Amino acid sequence: MSIALPTKRFAGIVAKVNAFLLIAFVLVIAFLGLVAYKQGWFVHQSPIHFVTANALGINKGMPVKLHGFTIGSVSSMELAPGGVDVRLQIGSEYLARIPQDSRAKNARESGLVGAAVIDILPGKAENAISEGAQISFEPARGISEIIDDFRRQAMPAFNELKTAMSQVGRSGEDITQILASLRKEVDQLPATHRAIRKLVEEAAVATTNVSKQAAATLSAVEKVSKTVDKTIPEVSEKLVNSLQSIDAAAVQAKKTGEEVRLTLRAARPLVEHSEVAAREAGDVLGAAKRVWPLSDSFKETSDGMLPIDSFEAEGKGRSR
Amino acid sequence: MRWLAAGLVVVLAGCGGGKATTNSGGGNTSLAQSRLTQAETRAAGFTKSGDYQNAARQYAEALRIATTLENADAIAANAINLSVVSQWLGRDDDARAALDAVLTDTHTAFSEHRKIQAELRRAIVELGGGNTGAAAVWAGQAQQRCNATSCEYAAGILNVRAQIELESGRNAEAAQLAQSAADRSRSTGSQVELANALRTLGRARHAQGQYAAAMEPLKQALEIDREMGDPRKILADLADLSRSADAAGDAAAARDYKERGLAVSRAMNGGRSAPEASLTR
Repeated sequence: MSIALPTKRFAGIVAKVNAFLLIAFVLVIAFLGLVAYKQGWFVHQSPIHFVTANALGINKGMPVKLHGFTIGSVSSMELAPGGVDVRLQIGSEYLARIPQDSRAKNARESGLVGAAVIDILPGKAENAISEGAQISFEPARGISEIIDDFRRQAMPAFNELKTAMSQVGRSGEDITQILASLRKEVDQLPATHRAIRKLVEEAAVATTNVSKQAAATLSAVEKVSKTVDKTIPEVSEKLVNSLQSIDAAAVQAKKTGEEVRLTLRAARPLVEHSEVAAREAGDVLGAAKRVWPLSDSFKETSDGMLPIDSFEAEGKGRSR
Repeated sequence: MRWLAAGLVVVLAGCGGGKATTNSGGGNTSLAQSRLTQAETRAAGFTKSGDYQNAARQYAEALRIATTLENADAIAANAINLSVVSQWLGRDDDARAALDAVLTDTHTAFSEHRKIQAELRRAIVELGGGNTGAAAVWAGQAQQRCNATSCEYAAGILNVRAQIELESGRNAEAAQLAQSAADRSRSTGSQVELANALRTLGRARHAQGQYAAAMEPLKQALEIDREMGDPRKILADLADLSRSADAAGDAAAARDYKERGLAVSRAMNGGRSAPEASLTR
């Protein structure tokens, strides 16, 4: 069975379809070319490599940066004697900027949680690295090591603070004791004053009875007595004022001592809690490490093995 | 036209035919797998805090769970860790039994790396218990396997072999092996095994009557051990230095090392007087 098509309406349809397909084909090829150009397929790349004992955190395709500028990527990884051989493809134009003693480092773009990159740390050699050369690798420090470092450095400071606070507490107690003794002595001063006055009066009476010839002397003594009598109340008054000041200072010092002791008592749990908090922070981080999406960012550098140390063969390793 | 259309279809198919992402199913962690991870984490925590009794209990639990899962790597790792902690507790039999999980199991496919670790650990346990013959056999096996795979434990194995030779009275061989271990440690950057090698070298020279020559490696070992911060090794170094200095005729230096050793030993024993014997072995 054949279908009769209107001759005028479909005249030249084959040529039109061919033109359409040709244009589509050209567009696809142009798109592919653009993608290839953007991916750097037309840029000449040179391989370099490094060997690491542990390739955790390094992935194929990971960008390689020099001074924060992307110059290549991780092309392949394979097991090799001594660890993992990681091969990098670097744009050939950048090789001249990498000295021979440069090192590679596994780093993150924004501190701890940024994207992982291989950072090239330029060395000081005069000659540039050659194609296919091997560079040394510096593994990144894990978050646990950073926290351990912080704890190791912070704990002596906390202990110093604890010691200083306890010394302040002890000093407060000493001052209170000294002030209490002083106050006791001061309390006895009026009695001493009264005894002196009595002695002077008795001396005056005795002097009158001895001789009239000693009148001049007596009057002089009386004068002295009067002067002393006049002076002593003033001194006494001043002493009382001083005593009141010392008393007030003692009360204040005692209050301060108690406040210091209370502060110390309040600070001690704080110091102890800070240690617990640091330990718990480690646990929380440990838990966070296992939770997606952080798990990729916090991979452990060791495989959880205890050290296999030949020292234990000496039979003395037991008293750890 | 048909060819043109076919070509276009092929090109388009090529564009869309990227590598499909595979779902590894890694997120579907089983309950037993979680318990294994928890036991391992707890064990590591107890070990760090010095609670070896509980650490051993947790490593044993982790080993049991790993066995139920037929996870070869986890079985080997936990068995080796259990042997280390058991030896620290003075339970050599338990340490041996733990390693049997790797060394006598012919059905599980353990990696060469784990086998080397287990064999080296077994040699260490045997030598620590005074069984030099058994230690030599296990160290030999570990060495053979290590040579075939160029493993990272070469220096440790050489150190154990040097100690075996020293225990057996073959002092020249011991010195030679210790020197090889030191060279190997330097090339791999293992400071722990370098210090062990230098200590054994010093002892071997002392045993050969080269008292003055023994001092240098022992001093180097002491420096490294102080950097590494292990009081057991510092004490061992000071004891050896005191012995060699005394034998070399430097009584003042010998007395100084001995007093330093006694101070370290006293501090290790919580202020109690240190046993004199530990410094005169």
